[in-house]
Amino acid sequence: MTAAGIASPVPVVAARNLCKTYQLGEQSVHALREVSFDIQRGEFVAIMGPSGSGKSTLMNMIGALDVPSSGQLLIDGTDIGTLDRDQLAALRNHTIGFVFQQFNLLARTSALDNVKLPLTYSRPRRADATDIARSCLEKVGLGARMDHVPSQLSGGQQQRVAIARALVNSPSIILADEPTGALDSATSLEILQLFESLNAQGMTVIMVTHELDVASHARRLLRVKDGRLVEDRAVTGALTEHQS
Amino acid sequence: MTLAEFIATAMVALRRNVLRSVLTTLGIIIGVGSVIVMSAIGSGASKQIDAQIASLGTNQLTIFPGSMNVGGRQGGAGSAPPLTEKDLRAIRENVTGIDAAAGNMNSGATVVVGNVNWVTQINGSSAEVQTVRDWPLKSGRFYDALEASSGRKLAVLGSTVARELFGEADPLGTMVRINNVPFQVIGVLSEKGQAGGRDQDDVVILPLSTARSRLMGRVRVPDEIGQILVKVDDRYELSEVQADIERVLRQRRRIAPNATDNFMVRNFAEFLATRNATTRTLGLLLASTAAISLIVGGIGIMNIMLVSVTERTREIGLRMAIGASGSDILGQFLTEAVLLCMAGGFLGLVLGAGIAIVISTLFAWPVYISPGVVLMAIMASASVGVIFGFVPARRASQLNPIEALRYE
Ligand SMILES: Nc1ncnc2c1ncn2[C@@H]1O[C@H](COP(=O)(O)OP(=O)(O)O)[C@@H](O)[C@H]1O
Ligand SMILES: [Mg+2]
Repeated sequence: MTAAGIASPVPVVAARNLCKTYQLGEQSVHALREVSFDIQRGEFVAIMGPSGSGKSTLMNMIGALDVPSSGQLLIDGTDIGTLDRDQLAALRNHTIGFVFQQFNLLARTSALDNVKLPLTYSRPRRADATDIARSCLEKVGLGARMDHVPSQLSGGQQQRVAIARALVNSPSIILADEPTGALDSATSLEILQLFESLNAQGMTVIMVTHELDVASHARRLLRVKDGRLVEDRAVTGALTEHQS
Repeated sequence: MTLAEFIATAMVALRRNVLRSVLTTLGIIIGVGSVIVMSAIGSGASKQIDAQIASLGTNQLTIFPGSMNVGGRQGGAGSAPPLTEKDLRAIRENVTGIDAAAGNMNSGATVVVGNVNWVTQINGSSAEVQTVRDWPLKSGRFYDALEASSGRKLAVLGSTVARELFGEADPLGTMVRINNVPFQVIGVLSEKGQAGGRDQDDVVILPLSTARSRLMGRVRVPDEIGQILVKVDDRYELSEVQADIERVLRQRRRIAPNATDNFMVRNFAEFLATRNATTRTLGLLLASTAAISLIVGGIGIMNIMLVSVTERTREIGLRMAIGASGSDILGQFLTEAVLLCMAGGFLGLVLGAGIAIVISTLFAWPVYISPGVVLMAIMASASVGVIFGFVPARRASQLNPIEALRYE
């Protein structure tokens, strides 16, 4: 591990004794307790756990939407606990591509403009924003639907637009929270295959799910329970309830 | 985001609910509309009055024989001794700071040419009246002092009289009969327009002595003058010259030091200026009413923007998640509020101008919409947007992205 002359690569996500405590009146809710892990560039990680186990809390921190109560969370080596609101916003803009269960596209706004949206918040501004957005839409197979507004697109197509939007800033991480939760199984499979192909091209993908067959598409599984990391292992082949 | 992107985003949001957007701006529309109508009417009137003041001359004094106050009893009009040629001469000789002074007598008369007649006012005036009233001729000439004193029957027509009697024809050299006395037309005056509700051009000016002996009927003294008109030299204070005139006349008319004047010195331009100030005060009052409706409109904007922020909480959360900073969100909602208000302001402008034009045609009231007022209306509505849009926009910019994204 300490081979001289070889610098160990900076993990794209590094959790160090990560804790998050919510204060509800007198009561403290420990949503995350002493969680530590590294995620390297190019991984495809599924995060699983029962409801209330702390998955969303963890995702919020990996997405730089929230900061730890104690411990550290480093994204590309940057400790998000040291950043202010605007710096967090800039980090999200450059480093994270969000994909949500409910797609969260802007209504009455064309697919192209939806995909371009993160670039309008980028500094410095890119002159070739439209070209980048176009090529991202082509990458997700929607080259022919650029002018369609969300209401003219199917659920699967809307999620593809959302994935193109997540890709548009060439992020370090694609962060997907139950990305297939609102889709039928055939469409879900298409979306998961899209994630697999993006991962094959080198993109880091982190996905929260509660379905085993969705998690099977990942290559590493993190399980959380009561705010603790209880399992961290490689995924080979289909996962079954027995295996877990 | 750039301003263009802010505007484009705001347009999408506003178009989503056009009816609501329009209803929201109703307060602004009415506020700005009423500002425009009121200022159009107000400044139309004061512009007219300003023009009248200019036509009367701000440096002109008129002296009337005033009623006499005997033993605390106010005498009737005309009970004071009349002004005379001697008074006029005394003023010319003893008062400093006078450009010109003219005697004047007015009367109504019928002017006849052929079978056309016209009832008008005749002014018997000294030759100096042209200088005093600063009244250029459209054609012909004015009589001189010699002609005026030698009883020549010459007439200078006001443009209204010339038009009524002669139409397009040239009146110069023609004989007209004024109360059956023949006069020769030697000049036509240029137009002066309305003043104090009277057409100043509906007049015939004749030499004073001729008018007095031929047209004025009975006079109390042979050299009676109705009024003395004085043009004050620009380099002198009007009030000082007025005081000097009063001093000279009191001396000449032998008024005891503690007795009141039996004459009056008036400045008509000042009188009109006072009326003008009244009009302005009224305009100010109406403008403040309009300002109140702008504030009410602004509160409406704030209310609807708060609703809009709540409705779009998820959208705000999404924008923050993908990298919008607090100032991006603030800018977006401020732009929306300002755009909304400016659209309302523009509609109000159009509405107000329309109403002003209708008023001007229906009631023949002069209206004037100054570019300054238009600019002010647009700036005022934009400011309303900034002021009343700030609270909702700030609330949006301070939302917690996690909670906003989770908002149903
Ligand atoms: N904003 C919050 N305030 C208080 N408690 C919270 C808040 N967010 C999450 N929690 C609590 O933290 C724990 C973990 O929640 P969460 O991360 O949403 O779990 P999961 O996504 O796995 O269902 C739960 O007990 C939840 O009630
Ligand atoms: Mg959750």
